[in-house]
Amino acid sequence: MVKLREYQAKEIFRRYGLMVPRGAIARSPEEAKSIVSSMDCAVVMKPQLGVKKRGKAGAIAFVNGPEEAFREAVRLFNMQVYGEEVTVLLAEEKLAIKKELYVAITIDYAARTPVLMISDAGGMDVEEILATFPERLLKIPVSIIAGINHEITERITTKFDVSLSEVISRLYRVFRDYDAELLEINPLILTTNNEYWAADAVLNINEDSLFRHEDLLEMKKDIPVEDPLAEEANQKSWTYIRLDGNIGILSSGAGLTMAILDLLHNAGGKAANFLDTAQIDDAGIFDAFELLSRASGYSVLMVNIFAGLNRCDLLAEGIVRYLQKHPMDVPVVVRMIGNHEAEGHKILKAANIEPFSYLEDAIERVVALAEVSP
Amino acid sequence: MSILVSRDTRVLVVGITGDAAQHHTRLMKEYGTHIVAGVRPGAGGQRVEGVPVFNTVLEAASERGCNAAIFFVPAKHMKAAAIEAIIAGITLIVIVSEHIPLHDTLEIIAYAEKHGATLIGPNTPGLISPLERCKIGFVPSQYYMPGPVGVASRSGTLTYEIVSRLTLAGIGQTTCIGVGGDPAIGTSFARVGLLFQEDPATHVILCIGEVGGSMEEDLAELVYQKKITKPVVSYIAGRTAPEGKKMGHAGAIIAGGRGSIKSKLKAFEEANIPVAAIPGEVVPLVRKFLP
Repeated sequence: MVKLREYQAKEIFRRYGLMVPRGAIARSPEEAKSIVSSMDCAVVMKPQLGVKKRGKAGAIAFVNGPEEAFREAVRLFNMQVYGEEVTVLLAEEKLAIKKELYVAITIDYAARTPVLMISDAGGMDVEEILATFPERLLKIPVSIIAGINHEITERITTKFDVSLSEVISRLYRVFRDYDAELLEINPLILTTNNEYWAADAVLNINEDSLFRHEDLLEMKKDIPVEDPLAEEANQKSWTYIRLDGNIGILSSGAGLTMAILDLLHNAGGKAANFLDTAQIDDAGIFDAFELLSRASGYSVLMVNIFAGLNRCDLLAEGIVRYLQKHPMDVPVVVRMIGNHEAEGHKILKAANIEPFSYLEDAIERVVALAEVSP
Repeated sequence: MSILVSRDTRVLVVGITGDAAQHHTRLMKEYGTHIVAGVRPGAGGQRVEGVPVFNTVLEAASERGCNAAIFFVPAKHMKAAAIEAIIAGITLIVIVSEHIPLHDTLEIIAYAEKHGATLIGPNTPGLISPLERCKIGFVPSQYYMPGPVGVASRSGTLTYEIVSRLTLAGIGQTTCIGVGGDPAIGTSFARVGLLFQEDPATHVILCIGEVGGSMEEDLAELVYQKKITKPVVSYIAGRTAPEGKKMGHAGAIIAGGRGSIKSKLKAFEEANIPVAAIPGEVVPLVRKFLP
């Protein structure tokens, strides 16, 4: 999922004729100061992050004038918001609020359709309010084939008004055109002159759809990469996640990888990371080792191979080839079953790697090794 | 007996001329699956692994009477290929590929519903009936044997891990369905559970779930309501997995608190569904419910 930053989402909203406060982005306190001095109105400054609930973290600043903007920008740039560094601020005109609404378009995975969600309880506490008063949420499923039809616009118009219904139709076009997983505006402001303005913007894009969005590929370049190894794995359609234990894991398949985490936990071990590759061949496992060799924080590496379609002997050769070229300074434990299992084990043993057939035996060995060298 | 596939299933392989497609066509045929046609625009008239190739799905379906299709087509072209097959009247659509654009999957699901087709996947190793010697997908069939257990799973390799232990213990399967690992899939655990309920050969239903989503809860609800009365046992992977990053307000609101391991275990407890804590507990648990 690509989480576009607020200012990027707003740029797209603007193209679809939605009302977005005027403003600009600042990458330094000096820039923030000069933007605010040119704006001549009350301004709100917001860090551009992948996490939400910035308001609750005290990371939104309302400022009057360039001096205050500078001071507040210094404070914000020095903040870490839920662990995320602040590198970009969006400074924009503060709106004259009459009412705050919550609107979202996302996917109901149980119904497997897009769903519109609209509430008059917009603002910081929407989640809590809607948990207590679910009747304050208007939730409308949308047929992905038919889109927003007359019946839906009528429902929105009846409960709210016709201009909100128009806003929702435009947002739905953004949602569909950009292959979004989530589009959210909280709050959508009804201003004192009765116009709907997007005060915030969340637009999360389905990663598998990026190939048909050149503009988003450009925007993605401006989003800081959280974990370069994770991004590199992602490019290969693998998943790499860093955790806080001391056992490295190389496995394939999300379900089996999670089962391994559970087994390690039960045995008293803790994973430092996991790399979940899809089905790989001997060249693939070589690459997977290479990627993991650049990960840190583990003192033993567990490799799990269930070669239902590929072959143990070829994968074993891939492992041995890597380790002969680049010896690792941590012990490697390989659990390997499947096609040509005996040959695979023989190849590993010849290279002084102890192979296991039974998953639980490998787990036990890994945890024992991890305890010796924490 | 089995569900969704049988000896009478007549399978069409879309994109049959590619390397992976040819390889798996051969493996499926060797297992016993009736592969009756292939499609590849421009390759009509050829034969692959002895299977006649047609230019369009419609031609293949009408000449060869296919009722199931599997696709070896790039993810970006899957929507067009799948909808073509659905409109041609094919009733079982198996999409093994991953990385299909999410909105495309939703459209495929909507078309399948509209035309009364069953979609398995995306992102699944497929399905296999050891009883009927039919597999559609790339399930490694050597780990499966005929028997009384119906299996539904979200994950490929984890299923091989668990089913191979069942088979080693002499416990066979009626049908094993990989429902798919994507967040939006065509056929849920609940639907598969109801099909197993109707299948006379299935005595125990094994659900191999994962944290996230609400499919496990929906299945538990059917058991609780006694719409499924056969014994159901489960294993859920990811009990101790770190919680994924939240999807923002909408994610939390839409899920309504469902999806966590706590929510799933609670739903299973209320429905009296025993849950194996680790894969090793699955075999003894299943055995308890067999005569």
